[in-house]
Amino acid sequence: MTQQLAIIVLIDVAAALKARTLKDNTYLFDNMKLQGSENEGTGDLVTAINGSYWFDGSQAEEQVMNWLPYALGAIPPTVPRSFYSDRTRDSDQEALAALTKIAATPGTNIVAELDRIKQRLGTRASVKSVHRAGHVRPGHKILDLRGEIVPSDSRDDIPELSNAAPVITGITGEAVDKQIIYPAQYGSPDLVTDGWYWSASVDTSRPGIYVYTMEIHLREPVWKHGGWLWEPVRMTFTSKIKVTSLPKRNGFTQADVGLLPLSCPGTP
Amino acid sequence: MKTKIDIVILVDVISALSDGTLLDGNLAMMDNGHLPSTDQGTPELCTVCQPGQTIQWTIHAVDLQTPVEIRRITFLDTRSDVEDSGDAAVESPPGDRLSLNVWSGVVPPWAIPGAVYKYRLELQMYEGKNSVMTIDSCSLRCA
Repeated sequence: MTQQLAIIVLIDVAAALKARTLKDNTYLFDNMKLQGSENEGTGDLVTAINGSYWFDGSQAEEQVMNWLPYALGAIPPTVPRSFYSDRTRDSDQEALAALTKIAATPGTNIVAELDRIKQRLGTRASVKSVHRAGHVRPGHKILDLRGEIVPSDSRDDIPELSNAAPVITGITGEAVDKQIIYPAQYGSPDLVTDGWYWSASVDTSRPGIYVYTMEIHLREPVWKHGGWLWEPVRMTFTSKIKVTSLPKRNGFTQADVGLLPLSCPGTP
Repeated sequence: MKTKIDIVILVDVISALSDGTLLDGNLAMMDNGHLPSTDQGTPELCTVCQPGQTIQWTIHAVDLQTPVEIRRITFLDTRSDVEDSGDAAVESPPGDRLSLNVWSGVVPPWAIPGAVYKYRLELQMYEGKNSVMTIDSCSLRCA
C-alpha cells in the first residue's frame, strides 16, 4: 500500500525521569490498527506490517515506518516556533517596565521592589554544547506546563517544568540486525519534531515477529554550578513488528491480467 | 502503438473525509496515454485508448500517512444504466488488504471505435460508514 506507517512514541517524561526507566511510562500508537496492529496505546504495541509480493516472489511494495516522539505533559509541539522566545521577551519587557516605574515613583522601597522583580525574572537553563567546552545558554527561559515563566531560579524550588520533547537517537535490535528494517534519520521541513525524524523501510520477504529497540534521549533540568542545566538522560525502549506478506493479484479477475469487462456488443 | 496506459488517481484523503465528497478538488486523475485524453487532472478524465492496450489504475494519497485504496472499478453499460460487472462476482481480498489488488486489464478487441465507456470508481479510506466514496464521471474512449 502506498500509505506510510506512523508510530507515535508518547513518553511521560517527568515520570520516566523519576523512575529512571521508560517502562510503564511510554505509550505507543500507530496508524495500522485496521491492518492488524495490537495493543494500541500501550507499551506493548505490535505493529502490523503487511507486505506483498509478485508472482516471481519479488517484493511488490515498499513499507515505510516513521517514528514521532512526543512528551506527555509538555507544551504542545504545535505552538508557533517563536513561542518560547516570545514569552522570554515578554518577561524581560515586564521587568524593564517595572524598573522604569520604580525610578519614576518617589518614595518606593527600592530594595524590596528590586527583589520582587528579581523573583519574577525567571531563568534560562544551559544546554551542553558539543562544540565548545561547557554549556551554552539558549535564547529562552524555562517555562512551565502552562507556558508561564518559572519565576524563581532558586534550587530549593521544584518547579513543574515543561519537559523538552524526547529525541530518538537510534533504532537497533533484532529487526535491524536481521536486516528486516533499514532505519535512518531524515531531515524534515516540518519542525513539529525539530526537523528530524527516524524512518525505516522494511524487507517483507521474511514474515515473523521481530523486536527493535529505540534509543531515546530525554533532558532533565539539573542544578549545577549555580544554575539550571539540561542534562541528557539516555534510555531505551523496545517494541515489536509483525511482518506478513501476501501475493498481489489482479483486481478485475483476482488472478492474472485479463480483458477489461467492457460490454460486448450482441450480448443481452 | 503504446502498449500500456497508466491512469493515476490522487486523493486528498483528509479533505475528502471532512467534506464527504471526492469532488471540490479532492480527487484528480491523469493518464499518460499517447492519444489526446480530455479533462486531465479532474474526476472527469476521459482516457483515449485502443484495443490491445493495457490500462493500469494506481492510486496515491496526497498525505502519505493517510490510507486510500481502490475498492472496485465497475464499467457502466453504455446502452442502459445496467452495471456491467464483467465476470461473475469474484472473491476480493478482505477490506484491509485491498492493496493486494493490481487494477489492470487489456482493452478488448470488441471495443467500438468512438464509443465512450464510463466506469465507476469506488475508493475506500480506512473503515466506517462514511469510508467508501464513489465517482462515476470518468471514462475510457476507444479511438
